[in-house]
Amino acid sequence: MDWDVILRNLPFLLMGLQTTFKLAIVAAAGAFPLGILLGLSRLSSKWWLYYPASAYVHLIRSVPLILVIFWFFFLMPIITGRPVGSFTSAAVAFIIFEAAYFAEIVRAGIQSISKGQVMAGLSTGLSHISTMRHIVLPQAIRNMIPVLVTQVIVLFQDTSLAYVIGVREFLRWTSLVDAREFRSIELYATAAVVYFIICFVGSTITRRLEKKGGRLR
Amino acid sequence: MIDINNVSKWYGKLQVLHNVTEKIERGQTVVICGPSGSGKSTLLRCINGLEYFQQGEIIVDGISVQSRSTNIYELRADIGMVFQHFELYPHMTCLDNITLAPRKVRKKLEEEARTLAMSLLERVGIPEQAHKYPGELSGGQKQRVAIARALAMKPKIMLFDEPTSALDPEMIKEVLDVMIDLTKGGMTMIVVTHEMGFAREVADEIIFMDEGRIIERGADESFFRNPKSERTKQFLSKILM
Repeated sequence: MDWDVILRNLPFLLMGLQTTFKLAIVAAAGAFPLGILLGLSRLSSKWWLYYPASAYVHLIRSVPLILVIFWFFFLMPIITGRPVGSFTSAAVAFIIFEAAYFAEIVRAGIQSISKGQVMAGLSTGLSHISTMRHIVLPQAIRNMIPVLVTQVIVLFQDTSLAYVIGVREFLRWTSLVDAREFRSIELYATAAVVYFIICFVGSTITRRLEKKGGRLR
Repeated sequence: MIDINNVSKWYGKLQVLHNVTEKIERGQTVVICGPSGSGKSTLLRCINGLEYFQQGEIIVDGISVQSRSTNIYELRADIGMVFQHFELYPHMTCLDNITLAPRKVRKKLEEEARTLAMSLLERVGIPEQAHKYPGELSGGQKQRVAIARALAMKPKIMLFDEPTSALDPEMIKEVLDVMIDLTKGGMTMIVVTHEMGFAREVADEIIFMDEGRIIERGADESFFRNPKSERTKQFLSKILM
């Protein structure tokens, strides 16, 4: 065993980790607003919102992520007419993919609020928008937060799939270093520990939030 | 004040209201009773436009509820509603529950809305609960906050949808007392309830509904003593033990 290999290559690994975080943050930041719009559309009574949004959510959720990543990698240059780089391509694929999952979380969160709450708001003369904003969404978001955080953790792990189109994220750098150093056990064990620590911290936060949410009920 | 004219409503193929007609004068209290699924709550929700009906007309204070020119939000602001399961907003304190609509709909200032809310909590007898969340209150207290919330809009009419059905027996009285107080103050009220003691004491008219129809109406003791229809007799004998 030669654990020194980690220290020697720390700058490369950190560079990879930075890209991993960047990808996860860009993907979550892009997918969340899109997910809210899709989730609300899925609850809309207007068919021209409901059907496209539902088709989108069902289609994306039936396709493996890695396929979406490949797909955009080959499709993006055709759409834009020029090469866009693997990071951008991966980021777009993640946004498109995760938005469908966020949409379902948002939809379920809003549906978890009883119709009676909506009626109570409306009965006092509040508009639909005010009822949504002051009564439904504050409660729905509180219910959604633990699931949203869990989904972001999954997203964080999934960023490693960007490896396949050559994005130099954490796992890619680990394997690049391994190709030069031939220290697979040490390197991949370290990678596993790093992913574990980050995700464990994330799920601890989720548990705290769940407890807090439970108290407010 | 409220003119319900030949109202019929269907859920798909199922007809839930059959040509319901009823007139309620200003300051009257009307009690609606009947078995579950008889259309009582649905009728109540048609009055403030929470439910759509396919036939007939409801006119509240000169305004047709389902007319295209009606601003239903303005109309609802004048009609208070109290629900069986309270429907207080669990993420807000009692005070905020009461001040939300006055602030957002009536555009009252925070200060003014709070003063109003406190006076209403005083009126329903629980000013000390103002800063608590609904989750910390008993059922009876919750329903009294809900009544205060509806009154905060200074409504012309109050609709009560089984306000005591979800309460423990010993809490029913505290809610009924508040409601009796309201009737005596001249409020126009429609109350869906099985509290026949309440009906006897304050109702100007009692309506018995079954399967979407008004089967019988009475204005006094005779409604209880000699109901005309067999169905009403049956129902009353079950709830007036």
